[in-house]
Amino acid sequence: MKHSIILILAFGLFATAADAQCRSFTKKNCLSSLDGYIQNDNYNSAILIPGDEAELMLTFLAGQDYRLVICSHPVLGEVGYEINDSRGKRLFDSSKNDGSNYVDFKVETTQQLQIHVQVPETKSAILHEGCVTVLVGSKS
Amino acid sequence: MRFKQRIQALPILFGMVGFLFAGCGGGEAEDASQDQGEQKELTVDEMDPDGMAESSRQNTLTKIFHAAPSPMETASLIQRSGASFHADALNGSDRASNYTTSDAQAINLGIYGADLSYATIFEENSTSLEYLQAIKSLSAELGVSDVLSDDVMAEVEANRNNRDALIDIVSDTFYALNEQLKFNGQEDLAGLVVASGWIEGMYLATRHLDEAPEELKNRIAEQKLVLNDVMRLCSSYEQTPALTNLLTSMESITTAYDAITMTEGDGVTTREESGSFVIGGGPTFTANDDAIAAIATAVEAVRNGCVQ
Repeated sequence: MKHSIILILAFGLFATAADAQCRSFTKKNCLSSLDGYIQNDNYNSAILIPGDEAELMLTFLAGQDYRLVICSHPVLGEVGYEINDSRGKRLFDSSKNDGSNYVDFKVETTQQLQIHVQVPETKSAILHEGCVTVLVGSKS
Repeated sequence: MRFKQRIQALPILFGMVGFLFAGCGGGEAEDASQDQGEQKELTVDEMDPDGMAESSRQNTLTKIFHAAPSPMETASLIQRSGASFHADALNGSDRASNYTTSDAQAINLGIYGADLSYATIFEENSTSLEYLQAIKSLSAELGVSDVLSDDVMAEVEANRNNRDALIDIVSDTFYALNEQLKFNGQEDLAGLVVASGWIEGMYLATRHLDEAPEELKNRIAEQKLVLNDVMRLCSSYEQTPALTNLLTSMESITTAYDAITMTEGDGVTTREESGSFVIGGGPTFTANDDAIAAIATAVEAVRNGCVQ
């Protein structure tokens, strides 16, 4: 019981420390990518490893210009992402569009889109983990 | 009270640093499988400043993020639809001191955030400054005062006639607030801020419907999707009584939105010369005046409960 409590507390502290690292990573490396855009209020960042995926479903409003940024630690390689409509139809694939870590777009009608992020697999025996942050900015 | 208890627990947590030996970078992830592979001891010291480290996790996972459009986006769509500014619809900034529990403070932080966004978008700059002061006061009560530091307030003062600069400052502030509350382990309060912010944005959009342009009614109908975002986001957080109560009260709004019909359409993507993409197609919404009026009534009831 005592060991369990220590483990839970240690795990909680580690997660907090990891969160702090991703906050720092995001501030230092990501937020400037949204210059000229109003950033969405929601902070979404996680520590991922090769092969991990992440998803975000969000409503995009007609009449706004958007910038989606997938900001990741270089150790993870080229993190790919797709934009799908609410029925799963692929509308954008970063691998077919120069692999940039951001895309500018607008929607003709207000709709929910799913952002799918894929950290590439690695053949390396040692797996490294790193922060991945998803940012959405808008402007009228 | 709950916040104070959490703060008191922090030294105990930090006191554990000497015992720290078990690492798992995916601690916050969802849908994670238990890692049965070889465990490598990992300490925070082994991370680089950007959070990179050798991982002890072998099994992959899918992390589910949640988000919702910000009150600034809602305020912007109200303005673009041709609606007028209605100061009488705002929750008085002088009422901030009435909110004494952390739950009420978080809820009204969201309410004031939407009021501030609305005033800022409509260039009611002196009103914006009043709401920033109210937000500064509530955020201090919640222990996140650094999001509106003296430096930020000085920047506001220096840019009091610059709408774009004020919009940036307000957006940065609410992003920092969301980040800080999550970091403090107060995701439930972050949820209250998001939900009440959306409610107030909708309240402001649905005042004076008799003079509302048709465009605004369409935008109100489309908020059916945003309501879905907000409910999904808030449901992903720890369900405290306050958050559960707020989400339960919002079911009346969900019911009112059932009268809005949505027809799905196929999305298509084209690219403009600028390099920007345009996603066409998508859903269309149909709503009559009765349905919009029912939404306005449901939103008003929930909102009035929030600001009491």
